[in-house]
Amino acid sequence: MEVIDVAGIRFALDLSQPLWEQVLHQIRGAVARGELRAGEKIPSLRELAGQLRINPNTVMRAYQELERDGLTETRRGQGTFITASQPKITEIKISLAREAVQELIHAMNNLGVDKKAALTLLEEAVWQ
Amino acid sequence: MTAVDMQNVIKKYGSTVALDSLTLSIPEGQITGVLGPNGAGKSTFFKTLVGLTRPNQGDITVLGQKPSWKVNRQVAYLADQCRWYEYHTVREAVEYGHAVFPDFNMDKAQELVLSLGLANDASVGSLSKGQKARLQLILCLARDVQLLLLDEPFSGIDMVSREKIIEGIIQTFSNNKQTIIISTHEIHQAESLFDQVIFMDQGRVIMAGEVETLRQERGSIENIYRGLFQ
Repeated sequence: MEVIDVAGIRFALDLSQPLWEQVLHQIRGAVARGELRAGEKIPSLRELAGQLRINPNTVMRAYQELERDGLTETRRGQGTFITASQPKITEIKISLAREAVQELIHAMNNLGVDKKAALTLLEEAVWQ
Repeated sequence: MTAVDMQNVIKKYGSTVALDSLTLSIPEGQITGVLGPNGAGKSTFFKTLVGLTRPNQGDITVLGQKPSWKVNRQVAYLADQCRWYEYHTVREAVEYGHAVFPDFNMDKAQELVLSLGLANDASVGSLSKGQKARLQLILCLARDVQLLLLDEPFSGIDMVSREKIIEGIIQTFSNNKQTIIISTHEIHQAESLFDQVIFMDQGRVIMAGEVETLRQERGSIENIYRGLFQ
């Protein structure tokens, strides 16, 4: 998968999955990881569509969802910005962490590892 | 709103059936990909839209009217073949477009010449095949029309030119939200452009739908194509 950097945000799109969801998730992820900071401007719809070489309607769908979630704000004539609200950003981070935990639980279930054993493994693992 | 509507359109060339009761509908303000193997009827489909070919039967509506030279004022058609005045420079070819088409937007054309990496002073005769394809596309995209028909804009063109052409289409679509219909075999490179896709075979539609929904249900458009035609 080709990785494309647009204004410091890294995108890797998989054509076998809906693209708008991937754009949405990858911007959310960049915010949660702190690669995009509170109040920071994100690329215009046109710029992102052009650089990723995808349909502008696809980017619009992702941007609308980001705005609905309150993660971005559009200021007239100025562009789209990540929210200045730190609690909102923390909320996104927690929700992404929950998703990651769900994936871990799913993997443990598949391996037949129960909660108790999994928690022991988590305790033993090296955390950086 | 519907930009193009076809109901049971039949076109025969002698005993060869090019369009076999073709029925389809293409929405306004979106990019639709028309995909299928050679001989599927894609070029015939485009030709019937601009009245270059008359169907034997069936109803065709383009921008709410029957195909005619009047409707064609609102249609830019990039055919699979094109001729140039080889002694023209790129600038002269663009000016020629400006002189021929009343809706030709010179600012847009100049912006595209720049962004698609063509030199205004280069002679058309000296351009590579890919560069000529870029120029041909510019003459189409620079027209302020409601409907753009691009028949195989990427075929036989180098990768860089293909990428430039895709960027040109996105740039134009971002600004104007025209209806764009594109046929291509370059599915992998072009599929991220489409809102809608229509798969054609033997003059019929064999599958059609919204691209993101198809991806969700069946994976990439390229894979679906393989499944249908292998």
